[in-house]
This record gives sequence, structure tokens and C-alpha cells, in this order.
Amino acid sequence: MLRVDALHAHYGRAHILQGVSFSVAKGDALVLLGRNGAGKSTTFKSLIGLVRPTSGRIAFDGQDIAGHEPHVIARAGLGYVPEERRIFTDLTVMENLEVGRLPARDGQPPWTPERLFGIFPNLAAMRTRPGGRMSGGEQQMLAIARTLMGNPRLILLDEPSEGLAPVIVEQMVHAIRAMRDGGVTVVLAEQNLHFALAVADHATIIEKGRIAWAGRVAELQADAGLRETWLAL
Amino acid sequence: MSMALPPCRRTKRCGSCAPPEPVSALLVQLLSGLSGASSLFLVAAGLTVIFGVTRVVNFSHGSLTMLGAYLGWSILTRLPRGPEYFVLGIVLTALATAGIGALIEMLLLRRIYRAPELLQLLFTFGIVLVVQDAAQFLWGPNDLPLPRAPWLRSFVTIAGERVPFYDLVLIGIGPLVLAALWLLFTRTRWGTLVRAATQDREMVAALGVDQRRLFTTVFALGAGLAGMGGALALPDASANLQIDLNIITDAFVVVVVGGLGSLPGAFLASLLIGVLQSFGIVLFPQATLVLVFVIMAAVLVVRPNGLLGRAPAVARGAGQGFAAIRPAVPLLLRLGAAALVLAVLAPLAVGPFVLSVMTEMLIAMLFAASLHFMMGPGGMASFGHAAWFGIGAYAAAFAVKGLALGMGAGLLLAPLLAGVAAALFGWFVVRLSGVYLAMLTLAFAQIVWAAMFQAVEITGGDNGVLGVWPAPWAADRRVFYWLVLALCVGATLLLRRVLYAPFGYALRASRDSELRAEAIGLDTTLLRLAAFTLAGAAAGLAGGLAAFSKGSVFPGFISISRSVDGLLMVLLGGVQSMAGPVVGAVAYTGLFDLLLLATDQWRAMLGLAIIVLVLVFPQGIAGSIHRLWLRGREA
Repeated sequence: MLRVDALHAHYGRAHILQGVSFSVAKGDALVLLGRNGAGKSTTFKSLIGLVRPTSGRIAFDGQDIAGHEPHVIARAGLGYVPEERRIFTDLTVMENLEVGRLPARDGQPPWTPERLFGIFPNLAAMRTRPGGRMSGGEQQMLAIARTLMGNPRLILLDEPSEGLAPVIVEQMVHAIRAMRDGGVTVVLAEQNLHFALAVADHATIIEKGRIAWAGRVAELQADAGLRETWLAL
Repeated sequence: MSMALPPCRRTKRCGSCAPPEPVSALLVQLLSGLSGASSLFLVAAGLTVIFGVTRVVNFSHGSLTMLGAYLGWSILTRLPRGPEYFVLGIVLTALATAGIGALIEMLLLRRIYRAPELLQLLFTFGIVLVVQDAAQFLWGPNDLPLPRAPWLRSFVTIAGERVPFYDLVLIGIGPLVLAALWLLFTRTRWGTLVRAATQDREMVAALGVDQRRLFTTVFALGAGLAGMGGALALPDASANLQIDLNIITDAFVVVVVGGLGSLPGAFLASLLIGVLQSFGIVLFPQATLVLVFVIMAAVLVVRPNGLLGRAPAVARGAGQGFAAIRPAVPLLLRLGAAALVLAVLAPLAVGPFVLSVMTEMLIAMLFAASLHFMMGPGGMASFGHAAWFGIGAYAAAFAVKGLALGMGAGLLLAPLLAGVAAALFGWFVVRLSGVYLAMLTLAFAQIVWAAMFQAVEITGGDNGVLGVWPAPWAADRRVFYWLVLALCVGATLLLRRVLYAPFGYALRASRDSELRAEAIGLDTTLLRLAAFTLAGAAAGLAGGLAAFSKGSVFPGFISISRSVDGLLMVLLGGVQSMAGPVVGAVAYTGLFDLLLLATDQWRAMLGLAIIVLVLVFPQGIAGSIHRLWLRGREA
């Protein structure tokens, strides 16, 4: 579904991604783990086209999307939920969802506001509330729902559990499982190991812009030394 | 606030009418003001919508209004004269200007969205110049009044007063357009996308929306509104070549007073300004413009972001600023010293014409250096630097002609008055961010210009102040040149010295990060105000010298084009070093004199030069050269 090959990216002169490679199969859920500044967010921004990669290949559904415009990549079926959520604070919940709407694809049933409210019940009660007057957890749900409105085949979730209360994190786990049931492939970046283990099958660890380890989530769970080396603070 | 000589609004009472009843006269005046506000609102609404999404302050918006007036004239004079054809003509005009706007966006503006905002302003000013010459070429230099159909001349009687029917039509159009825009922006998918893009256009793109199409359609809508505003004003005025700069100044004031990006704010502010102008013309014909400025200042003191505006969000994915200032390398210092020696010795070798050009270059150098001081290290974009230059020039002239003092007093009064004026004006505006500041400095300069134009008793109006000659001891052109050389080089070096003093570092710190500067105990507002005042005083000295050099002072000393001259000099030379404005001023003065000699279409030529310059060097010439130099060193 998605194959990233020797991806390099710079911010100005800083060499952030120094050859990132990984791949995800259709219907799978992969988690990118790594400390702050390891390059997780930059990887996502390079995938969606907000950062122009300096070299490397990104094959999405067989076509090379590296260096394309963000809207072209999004229309190809790659959804992106940024770490900062970037809700349109002046727009209501329904309007935020409308901005994300794209035509249905693959003969799959499209995501509608009503279907999304089934996954995120909190949002159903605040259809006309401006995005700026929502809590962090509600904004996170809205950000994910907004991206799902584009009927993505694969969704990039950048630290969806960051700064959320445990109850909300629990809801988020259910939401991601519901997404997968709906046929969406998931790639998420996380620092919260427990959350990652609850939703993903495969894990890739990024350190200083390079891939440090890749394998099954279960292996990571079993190997405390591995976690100590790459993830402990 | 008609900035040029107000073209006689034919709905105004003529001198031969009987004096009206006081109360109903107020009503008529009020209605006339409200009707004027409508067309102003359309233009300002277009400006504010375009800015919201593209983050470009579109200087050429006034040109679109002017094109609307001319196209409207061409279309309406070819149609039958019934009201239904008038409506058709207005709609056709709006569509035509929308099309022109879309073309401008796709061919030109699209390429500069990531450039620094001052370059964007300059770029759109290039379009203003080109459109001006194009309009003159197509429609000729004379005003084109619209022959008015009988229904356009009819009156309605309200409270015993005859109110022009067309005024009532205009009064109705403003709220109608506001309502239509509101529906468009809140009830359609397009409107929702536009509002989302106003907040975070990068995120909108990441959600699969093609920004280019959004930008083009928004620009077309804004341009259509501008054109419609221009055409609707036709029956009360005429199509003329002054519309562009007049309306853009008014629109800037409206948008700033109403709050950048707020449509209801623009509507309220248009009403306020429109009514104010209408009453001002009757009550204080000499002080209308000052009144507008006072109101604007009052609003900004109470609500710095305008009546209904909010603190400007930092638009994501917007352009970057300029590179840092670097001290001159020793080679440059040696070149400068050599140039100075040559400049001192020059009068012994060159003739009077070259000497006068060199005098002009020196004055331009100080003017550019003062602007650079404000823009570069101060980080304050000014589009009206000619205000200080002009105040200095008029102060010098006033000292000599009005107070019968000598040249020395004149040259003292010039920087003093300009500095005081800059301090007063700066007090209101230094806290504002880039585009607000650029718009307000422009508006202020236009107001000073119009005030000098209107105050005929003191300034002689368009005839200017004549006979402002240097004192007898400096009457010799060479002695005067040496005086100018000493003062301009001295003042420029002083500005450079200040830049590398602790004050200069503190100033640059406040420019680069206001928050962090305040956190380490710098009073950023005071620092910026001091820089603003100093720059104003230096420009005033340049203006005073210019007055004695020319022997006269005209309102043209304060024109927009002089402000733009200064900007071009600074950007030509580069904002990054103190040597930039010096080199830029010398190069620009020389080039411009050549251009004037070579062609009648100097405006179009200059405009095209600006457009090409910004397209090729979106970071400014010096910035681009510096980047090439860095690349060369790495290779």
C-alpha cells in the first residue's frame, strides 16, 4: 500500500531525514516510534507533501507521490492528521468536516458526519460549536473525523494520544479500531508505547532521522532491552 | 476623503441654491454620505477578502476599481439608457474586472505568494503603474463623465428635501452586497473553504483542496467587487486617472479601521468614513482629511485591530522575512572611503548639470538610508516615507518664507518638525504589524499630501512655495553641494553608528522576536518609536535640503511615487546592509533620470521593471546575490 524508500528531507540546512525506509500493507496498522525530534513528524509532512523531500521514493498504491502537491496526494487517498490538530477555529464542527469532504472512492461506503458521530459520540452534541471552543480531546477527534471525510485509503495520525486524558485515550483506541474495520490502513506516530501497542501490528523505530529497528509490535513488547535502547528518556 | 482635487460631486448642492433648512440639510448630507459609503464598501470588501486568503495586500486593487470605472463607462455609454440596461452594464463590468483579476492572479500574483510582504506590495504597485499608462493609452487623459439618463437625475422628496434617487439606490446596494457576501461565505462549500484557507491554507491543501483554484476565484471575486464599486460611482463622478490611488487610500483606511479580514467591519468603517467625509466637506472643508485621520487614530488607540478585527493570526505557510544585517567587509569600507574622496573633489571637475544630479543623489541617499533604517533594522514596513520628507521640505520653506528666518533655521526646523510628526504618528502605529503599518503609513502620507494641497493660504496648494533659496554664503552651487555632502553623509553615518550601538542591537532584537525581547527587559514599543522618530527626522533633513536645492516645494514632494522611489532604492540595494540604500539611491537616481529622458511611458516602464525585478529576485536583489555567493562558497 505504502512503500517509503531512502527518504531524505531538510529544514533549511538541517538534515532531518537521513534515509527513512518502511512499508505498510493494505489494512495493516504501523506505528512509528521515536523520541522527540527523531523525525516522525517530518516523515509525515514529507509523505503528505508539506515538506518537499530532497530525495527518496514514496510509492503509494504503486504511484510515486514524492514531491507532489499536498492536495494531489490527499486526493490520491492519503489522509493526514497533524500533531497540532490544526482545527479551523472559526468554523463549526460541521463546517470543519465539510472542508475535509472528498468524493467516495473504491465503491466503499463514504464517511458521513452521521457515521463519524457513531465513532466520536462527543462530536454529535456540538455540531454548530466553533472549533476554537472545544477541548483538546474534542479537537483531536474532530481533526481525525475531518480527515476521514476525505475517505482516505491510508491515514497518517501524528501523535493522536498526545496531551489527552486517559478516558479520551481509551476512546481514541476504539476509534482507531473502528477506522481499521472500515478498511482504512493506519500509520501513526507515537511516544505513548501503551497506546501504540494497543492499536498497531507493526512498529518502526526512528532515531536521528534513520530507521533504528523494525518488527512486530509483539516483539517490542517482549524485549525490554530494545525499548530501553531506543525509547527510554 | 477624496485625495486628489475632489471631482465635483454633482449631487452636492450648488452655490446658487437657496440655503436649506438646517435639520433636513443634515439628513441630505447624511444620505449623501451613506451613498458614497456603498461604493467604498464594495472596494474595501474586495480588498479584505483577497487579503484574508492570499495574505497579499493588493495595492493594485485601486487600479481594478479604476478599470471598473473606465470599462463601466465604455459599456454604459454603448447601452440604451433605461435602468435595466444600467444594471446589465454594472453586472457586465463586474464580470469583466473579475476576469481581469483572475488573469492578474494566474499570470503574476501566483508567483509571489512566498515573497516578503513588502516586495508583494511593491509588486502590486508595479501593476498600478502599468495599468495607469494602459488606461491613459486606451481612454485618453481626460475625465470621462457618464451622460446621465433621466432616471439617474430624478429626485425623491424626503422630509421636504429633494434627495437624489440614485443616492437611495446606492444606500440600498451596500447592505445587499454585505448580505450576499455573508450568504456566500457561510452557506456555500466554496465560502467554507475560503474561510478555512484564511486560517490555515496549508491544512486546507493537506485535506485535498486545490489552493490555486481557491486563490484565483477569491481574487476574481475581489476584483469584481472593486470593478463594481468603480462603475457604481460613475453617475456621481467620472472615470478618471486619479481613481486608483484615491480609492486605494480610502480603502486602506476603511479596512484598517474596520479590522483587516472582517466584512461587517469594512461595512461599518465605510459608513463611518463616508458620512464623515460628507459632513466634513460642509462643516470643515479644509480639515476633512485631518478629521479622517483623527478618527482613524482614535479607533486604533481603543481597538488596535480595528472595530471588528481580531489579532492578526500568523498565517501558516506564508512568506519569510529578509536575511540578517551584516557589517560591511573591509573592502567595502575602503571603497566607501574612496567614493567619499571622489565626491568631495568632484565639484572641481564636473559641470553644473552633473553637480545638480549629484546633489540629488546625495539627498536620495539620505532619504533611502532613513527608510532603510526603519524597514531593515526597525522591521517596520513604510509605504509613506515621503510624508517625513515632505514635512521637512515644507518646514524649511515655512521657516524661510513664513517666518523670514535663514537657511540655517530652515535646516534645523526640517528634521525637528519631521521628527515630531513622526513621533506623534508613530505613537499610534508602531505597535501594529507589517501590513497594517504599510497601509497606515501610506494613508498618512496621502493625508499630509492632501493637507498641503488643500491649505492653499499657507502652502500655495498646487502652485507650491517658490523662492526657497540657500543663504548667500551657500548660493554657489559648489558650496551648496559641499553642504549637502557634509549633512547627508554625516547623517547617514550617524544612522549607521546607531545601528551598531546597543540601541541598534536592541532594536533588531525586538524586530526578530518581540516576545523574547520583552522577556529580557526591552521596551520594544519605545525602541520602535525611537527608531521611527529618528528615521522621520533624517528623512525630514533630506526634504529640507531638497527644498533649498530646488528653490521650491510642491505637494509632489509627498506623493506616493516618491515613497515608492525610496522603497525601490532600498530594495534595489538590499535591506541586508547599510551600504545597500546608498548604492541603491545612486543607481536608482541615475537610472530614473535616463528613463525620463528616454520615454514618455515611464510609468509603464518602471512598473514593468518592478514586476520583473520581483519575479526574478523574490528575495530582493541583494538577498539573491548573497544566496548565490553562499552557494559559490559551498561548491
